[in-house]
Amino acid sequence: MIAVLTVEARKLNRSLAALLAIAAPSLIAIFVFFNLLRGGKPQPWEMWTQSSTGIWAFFMLPMSVTALTALVAHMEHGPRAWDHLRALPVARWKLYAAKAVCVIAVVAAMSLLNLALTLGAIYGAAAVKPEIMPTGPLDGAAPVVLMGKVLLAAILLIAIQLWTALRFSSFVPALAVGIGGTFFSVVATAAKQGVFFPWQMPVNMLSTEAWRVNAALALGGGVGTVVLLLAIAHLSRREVL
Amino acid sequence: MATAIETRDLTRRFGARIAVDRVSMTVPERAVYGFLGRNGAGKTTTLKMLLGLIRPSAGSAFVDGVDVARDRIGAARRVGALLEAHGFYVNLTGRENLDLTRTLLGVPATEVDRVLEVVEMRENAARRVSDYSLGMRQRLGLARAMLGAPPVLVLDEPTNGLDPDGIADMRRFLKALPDRTGATVLLSSHLLGEIEQTATHIGIVNEGRLVLEGELSRLKSELAPEIAVRTDDPARAAEVLRGWDLTVVHSGIGGDDGLTARLRSGDDADRKSAELNRALIQAGLSVFAIGPRARSLEGIYRDVSQPSQNRQPETVR
Repeated sequence: MIAVLTVEARKLNRSLAALLAIAAPSLIAIFVFFNLLRGGKPQPWEMWTQSSTGIWAFFMLPMSVTALTALVAHMEHGPRAWDHLRALPVARWKLYAAKAVCVIAVVAAMSLLNLALTLGAIYGAAAVKPEIMPTGPLDGAAPVVLMGKVLLAAILLIAIQLWTALRFSSFVPALAVGIGGTFFSVVATAAKQGVFFPWQMPVNMLSTEAWRVNAALALGGGVGTVVLLLAIAHLSRREVL
Repeated sequence: MATAIETRDLTRRFGARIAVDRVSMTVPERAVYGFLGRNGAGKTTTLKMLLGLIRPSAGSAFVDGVDVARDRIGAARRVGALLEAHGFYVNLTGRENLDLTRTLLGVPATEVDRVLEVVEMRENAARRVSDYSLGMRQRLGLARAMLGAPPVLVLDEPTNGLDPDGIADMRRFLKALPDRTGATVLLSSHLLGEIEQTATHIGIVNEGRLVLEGELSRLKSELAPEIAVRTDDPARAAEVLRGWDLTVVHSGIGGDDGLTARLRSGDDADRKSAELNRALIQAGLSVFAIGPRARSLEGIYRDVSQPSQNRQPETVR
């Protein structure tokens, strides 16, 4: 499995995956920077880190997953590499599992980069306008834990996006699903039913109601893991004609 | 002779359509086996079943003695494939592409240099595949198929898109491959001339069925000899020839308006040519050309691969 994983990671060399991984968190950091400069009073650290995580969870994460899954799938669909890969003496589930692990790892790296760039944006804005420097202690662990929960709750949407992108050789179905899911995630962010909607499960990690956090975490993480395993099994067994 | 590839009643249906119909083929070890057939005849579907890419509806396929359906990974270890779609990552170099497959195969890193040497691609290995010509991609595909020195190579249309020089290079390369590497080559193509010059054995598939298989030289020698005839009045010449124990067909091969007299197996073509020449002249015809013609693969192919609805009986006495 290690060999398949390294191959999958090496395929990303000189692709646009790095650009995507840097661009999405950077956009949030830029927004946070200018948003901070608009204010005149200092706010607690937590407000800014949660604000950044919120934007990531309800919009940038689903969009990034849509783009990233389409990219890793099209590395094979584009040059029609499936026949070559599937004819090799390698268990096919490993090929698909490696893609899933790669996507989750890149999303995890993007999540951490998002936090790091957000902190950079806050310090940058405070350097320009010292009176807005956030107040109170900076709890380094809490934002990381929250971001981890967001990632866990996103497993179901990652599974759906990855399956769609790998199943269809055209990128249109995967984009349509991703854009549609993100659209409802944005326009109905406050909907109570959102806890059952895969694209809103990550943002529910910021809810103040414990049942919403727990339900979204169980569905997004638990059911998501089962769906991801089923997706890998289905893709491994189906014929690519 | 031991077999490298064998199929038994291999069948594949897509809904109501039968793409491959009870194909039983045998590819001897160290042969270059030309797998011929028109587009849609079932060649690629058969190859995909041999590679375990699609499952047969019935029958079985063996690669180097390993049942593909029962042990796909075991069979895949014994075969390298060049498929019509190369599947290269164009953002990577030729060497990097080979190294990805090498890693998946778990063979030593030195294999990459070895196969690059075999296809004479070492100088261009550091260039991105996006900068490669089609011929270079074909050679890189061959190199990739040879990683780990598998005993069987399956090559789907390896001369597709190559220029005449590239085709000649590929022909020389494929012809020498069994001696250089000890591999058996199953070569699918619709270029009859290339197969005729490259293959030691052929299999012709038509409408999903294997209609002819065997050693090419033996198939050609076993066929009844032919005599090509050109006269000033082909219609009358045909009338005259119908008085003999042979089959007359309007050849049209080579753009002439000639006739072909297909003799019976064992007939002496030279003696028969002289007799027919005399008969035609005695009938008052001017004979422009007459003489035995070697049976070509094209002739064999045309005989066995006509669509069933178009097949017309030849003019027989």
